Parts: sequence; structure tokens; C-alpha cells
Amino acid sequence: MEEGVTATQVVFWILAVVMLISAIGVVTAGNIVYAALFFIASLAGVAGIYLILTVEFIALVQLLIYGSAVVILILFALMLTRARERPQALFGRSRPLGIAAALGLLAALIGGIVATTWTTPESSTAFEPVGLQAIGDAIFTLWIVPFIIVGVLLSIALDGAIMLASPDEDDN
Amino acid sequence: MPPLEHILVVNAVLFAIGAMGVLTRRNAVLILLSVELMLNAVSLNMVAFAVYGHVDFGNITGIVFAFFIIVIAAAEVALALGIVVRTFRNRATANVDEVNLLKW
Repeated sequence: MEEGVTATQVVFWILAVVMLISAIGVVTAGNIVYAALFFIASLAGVAGIYLILTVEFIALVQLLIYGSAVVILILFALMLTRARERPQALFGRSRPLGIAAALGLLAALIGGIVATTWTTPESSTAFEPVGLQAIGDAIFTLWIVPFIIVGVLLSIALDGAIMLASPDEDDN
Repeated sequence: MPPLEHILVVNAVLFAIGAMGVLTRRNAVLILLSVELMLNAVSLNMVAFAVYGHVDFGNITGIVFAFFIIVIAAAEVALALGIVVRTFRNRATANVDEVNLLKW
């Protein structure tokens, strides 16, 4: 780590800059479809950083669940809830206050990070890539009960979403 | 590998950008997108700590947590979008400041 900037760090910073610029695009874009497209770019940046951190499984899950399923759901919701008659203001009245609060939060977080001394492992051999088999062992032995609960939660949530969004015949 | 501080700072910036989106947007779907950005920052943080070996339970736990966060975020997005579609059908708006039935 001391011999200077390695290629991994260069790739990390490129991905980080792409991710952060896309994230700024998500929260400032004047068009809601552009915001969704910026969101896809930001998710791809996060997946790239997962790859740099040698967790391919989470990168794959990120691309498959976030990059496809969640983004398609959000695009559908954007198309279904677009008000047709008048152009809408996309920002609320409390925008300056919100920006100030976010900047304060950022200052607090970065201050906390800088004030703490982190121990980074010395040699790059300390980073062993986490294999798929190890993750599967952990999920299906140590974390099996949370895994089952999260599966039940997911199916209940999806059923509830269908219930909420489906039209009811008795009301109208 | 980049030092841990760099990853943490990038994640803090991403979290603050998401918070800014939550606090400034009006459209419920765009607020949801910003919440997703914040969730991404948190799970990236957990993976970073797990890979750099800063947890007591071993290296896997943070990664498993990131996996659970992604699954729960998918459930949350589905439910929230169902609510948004429902609200749009009842009130003809997707802006959170115009849905004020419970406010007096």
C-alpha cells in the first residue's frame, strides 16, 4: 500500500467518480426518466466496486436484483404515475434546508471517518477473495433462520404489493 | 486494494447524496430512488468492513448482511411502489406534499 497508487486504486477511483456523479444526477435531474437512468449507472458503479472488493457474489446479486428487477419496477411506477395535465415541480419548498442538512450529515460522517484510525492490512496477500462456497456455507448454516424469515418476508411483501396495486371491484 | 478510509469516504458521500435526494424531492418514486442510493452506500460499507476484516464474527458476516439488505430492499421497493400506484389512483398525484389526508 505504501509504494504508491496501484492499478486497483485507479480503477476504484474511476468507478467511484462515475458512481458519485450518477448519484448526483439521480437527485438533481430535472426529468424523472433521466433520474432512473442515472440510477442504473450508479448501481453499475457500486457493482464494480463490489468486484474490486473481490465479492463477485454480491456484485452478481446487485446486477440481477437491483439492476434488472428493481429498476424495471421503478420505471413502471414512473410511467404509471406520471401526471399528464401539467408539468410538475420536482423539488419541494424545503430544498435549501434539505441541501444544508445533507451537507451537515456529510461533514459529520467524514469528520468521524477521518478522526478514527483504521488498521489496513499491510500486504495485499491479506485479502483473500471470498468464495461462493464460503458464502453459501454461511447463509445455509449460520444464517439459515434469518434466510428463511427473509424469504417469507419477501413473499408476503410481494403478495401485499399485488393486493395494494390491484383494482378492487366493490369500490368503484 | 484501496485503503479502507477511501472506501468509507466514498460511501459517506453517496449516503449524503441520497439523503439530499430524500430531503429535496417531491415525487415519491424519486424519494424511493434516493433511499435506494442510501441503502447501497450502507451495504457497500458492510462489505468493505467484512473484506478488510474489521468484524468479530469473521469475514463472511458483512457479506451476508449486504445480501439480506439487497433482498429486503427489493421487498421494500415492491411494497412502496404498490402504495404509490394506489395513491396515484386515489389522489391523482405522486407528490408526497400533496398527500395530506392525515394532516390537520
